[in-house]
Amino acid sequence: MGQTISKPTNPQNSNLSLKRSSPSSNEQNMAPRPSIFSTLRRPLITKTNDFIPLFNDCISAAASRTQEYLLFKDPEDKFQASSEVLTQVFLMTYISQSVSLNMTDRFNCTAMTPEQRILLGPDWVWAMLEKPTKNPRIQIAVQVLHLPGREAAEENNISQEACTESIQIAQKESSNKTTYERMVDFCTSIGKDCYALFLFLGKKNDKGNIYGVLSNNFEAAIGKCNKIDRAFIENFFKGSRYLHTPPGMMQAIVTKKEGDSLTLMVKFS
Amino acid sequence: MDLYGKMAATQDAKGKGEGGDQNFDYMFKLLIIGNSSVGKTSFLFRYADDAFTSAFVSTVGIDFKVKTVYKNDKRIKLQIWDTAGQERYRTITTAYYRGAMGFILMYDITNEESFGAVQDWSTQIKTYSWDNAQVVLAGNKCDMEEERVVSVDNGRLLAEQLGFEFFETSAKDNVNVKQTFERLVDLICDKMSDSLDSDPAVTTGAPTAKLTDSAPPLQQSGCNC
Repeated sequence: MGQTISKPTNPQNSNLSLKRSSPSSNEQNMAPRPSIFSTLRRPLITKTNDFIPLFNDCISAAASRTQEYLLFKDPEDKFQASSEVLTQVFLMTYISQSVSLNMTDRFNCTAMTPEQRILLGPDWVWAMLEKPTKNPRIQIAVQVLHLPGREAAEENNISQEACTESIQIAQKESSNKTTYERMVDFCTSIGKDCYALFLFLGKKNDKGNIYGVLSNNFEAAIGKCNKIDRAFIENFFKGSRYLHTPPGMMQAIVTKKEGDSLTLMVKFS
Repeated sequence: MDLYGKMAATQDAKGKGEGGDQNFDYMFKLLIIGNSSVGKTSFLFRYADDAFTSAFVSTVGIDFKVKTVYKNDKRIKLQIWDTAGQERYRTITTAYYRGAMGFILMYDITNEESFGAVQDWSTQIKTYSWDNAQVVLAGNKCDMEEERVVSVDNGRLLAEQLGFEFFETSAKDNVNVKQTFERLVDLICDKMSDSLDSDPAVTTGAPTAKLTDSAPPLQQSGCNC
């Protein structure tokens, strides 16, 4: 009985079962009915945020896996995972986990194409989907930042990607702005329900952990004539004593009043 | 100098310019627009990569692919921009209308709402693009005949009213995909040649041969599926 109470109601499934079984009126009468008291225990609001624990599971898996590579130290000091690989490890682990937990119909993740990454800024976009349209209700555009040393080591290695024609066209299209600015522009053009999350795979003073700065209000800095660059984003950590957890971040987002600004720092590992 | 004159003078970039494969005679910027889930991305994938997947992934913002076509021994590079149909991306997508020479305005023949929105999309083109941009109206998913809610006649009629060319297409079954792009390229070339004829001053630096020397291919707009 307790199980029956706690099971979320799925109208689609209910319809299916009615169509399939077509029970006679006798059978219907004989079917056990939930106790009148069970309705008292049923949550009043449907679980729109029930993806949050699942999201946390996915993040935990992705962060742990990424940390393995982030903390790897070659005894001969010749070999390390590239920035691109670290980003891919995080994203691939997250996606695998979210698919296996069957949460993508409520909260999905769209990896950007290399061209989109250049044009728009994010590496991927998380979206909380509206039912039944599956249109995004809230979006989090994520741009990964790596340790400066790791990025500098790769600057001289021109990847194959950089040589393709479409990449060069994308670079030409967006040459007048930095990747941080494009990211902020992207989120601002969508609105307050689109957050920019700068995800640091390692910080200068803590190279083995994953942190993030999330805001739907970075554009305010443009009004104050601040340049949006890495230093500007890192500066948020200096002024903050509290670090949110990933589910805490998500809870803050979903409970925020429409149109309000929200800026917070997060520790992902 | 109008758009086409300007383009003819600046896009003859064989062996010069910057970035990418510069070995082309013309570069045309095309956009695919229309409501969400009408099949814009699938249409582009079919044309550029000859691929199709039924899995629906909503486009975030904007994306593009490059494809080179040949017309009368001229290499025409197509920069084809795939736009997100959802309203929340409208600020981003309309920013890319500027400088577009052709549009494929797409609706879904199984979705009345997407057909009803064609007029609004047409207004968007007029608002954010050049006056001379060429438009082809495409009624996609014509493989789904049993679920059709927009007749071919209604599609054709609306195209006539708006002054657009019309095709019914299927990215899934590869029906009229190539033809739609080819027709749009023809229309742009025609317009370009007209502009050069009416204003000889713009021929400085322009190609030596007209792109419309040969007769345009016979148009077949109905769905063959």
